[in-house]
Amino acid sequence: MNDKYKFIEFLGLRFNVANDLSALIAAILVFIFVFALSRHVTMRPGKAQNVLEWIIDFTNNIIKSLMPDAAVKQFGLYAFVLFTFVFFANQLGLIFQVKVGGYTYIKSPTTNPMITMALALISLLISHYYSVKKFGFGGYVSNYVKPVGFLLPINILEEFTNFLTLSLRLYGNIFAGEVLLALIGTVAKSFGVVSFVVALPLEMIWQGFSVFIGAIQAYVFTTLSMVYISRKLEKE
Amino acid sequence: MASLLVLGAGKLALGDMLFILLSFVLLTAAVKKFAWGPVTKMMDARSEKISGDLDYADQERARADKLAKEREDALKNSRAEAIEIVNKAKDNGEDQKKSIMADAHSEAESVRQKAKLDAQRAKQEAMNDAQNDIASLSLEVASKVISKELNANDQKSLIDSYIKELTVNNETK
Repeated sequence: MNDKYKFIEFLGLRFNVANDLSALIAAILVFIFVFALSRHVTMRPGKAQNVLEWIIDFTNNIIKSLMPDAAVKQFGLYAFVLFTFVFFANQLGLIFQVKVGGYTYIKSPTTNPMITMALALISLLISHYYSVKKFGFGGYVSNYVKPVGFLLPINILEEFTNFLTLSLRLYGNIFAGEVLLALIGTVAKSFGVVSFVVALPLEMIWQGFSVFIGAIQAYVFTTLSMVYISRKLEKE
Repeated sequence: MASLLVLGAGKLALGDMLFILLSFVLLTAAVKKFAWGPVTKMMDARSEKISGDLDYADQERARADKLAKEREDALKNSRAEAIEIVNKAKDNGEDQKKSIMADAHSEAESVRQKAKLDAQRAKQEAMNDAQNDIASLSLEVASKVISKELNANDQKSLIDSYIKELTVNNETK
């Protein structure tokens, strides 16, 4: 949409305040969430610990369905943080968006492709790193000409398409959700009380649906990250 | 490289990307320190405890089964033993009864034998006494009769007959 953003220049780099502030808020929310749930860790879990363990089991099961059980120790933490962070980032803009003087300050950080690309980059870097670690550099490179040599260009291209599809899928889903939210908001303001009454239930329905989409996309993002990692760790 | 990327992205991306990377890494570290570490440790400990408890329960059940079997065997043995003891006691009793009866029989026999002998001896003695008495009595009677009525002739013939008898007796001997 035609949002305006504040930018900060620092060390020759340009920071988008809306992206960074909301990403920071999402990260802090994730931390507060897990920190609050992990107090009084006991052998017989209380309610809070049960919730946290359910989420941990959920992300661990994503890994278990793709890789041997030993991988849970390696990637469990990453999958858990990725899932909770993306989930909170997706929901953040649905709950509140802050605009001051025409400038957006807080929104879902995942509505910016650069943020989702940064997350996808982490996943792919991890996959390449562990592939080199497992097969050695030679083995890692030779995986590009497997199963047959002429697939080399396709295999290389696949790395970029993986990166783009992983990041842009998340971005597209969340961005579209928030655009539609903003559009319905504009509709509500357009004709006074009548349009407000009509738009309110629409906005509620779309918000609910966006919560659902945000959860699904967090799951999909985590699962596909693990799929790419597991494929890099397989001998073809 | 960095300036190239920044130029290429129209000074839009790299700062945000770095910020996200940094905040994500920090978040991961914080989550690991405060939540993931303790919770997964506890989950592992719990799963270990559960499997340990299951093993322990299996062992205990096996032990209890063994113990119950041993008890049953012991009970069965003791029953057999009891039956044996009773049988033995019965046999012993039977033997004792037989030996007592036999003793009693033999004692009774000897008592009867002795009584019989005593009776016979008593009878013999009585007979002897009676014979002696009769002899002396008859001798007395005879002497009385003889002293009263025997004259010289008779005495002579009596002596003769007596002598004759003696000789006959001697001859026959």
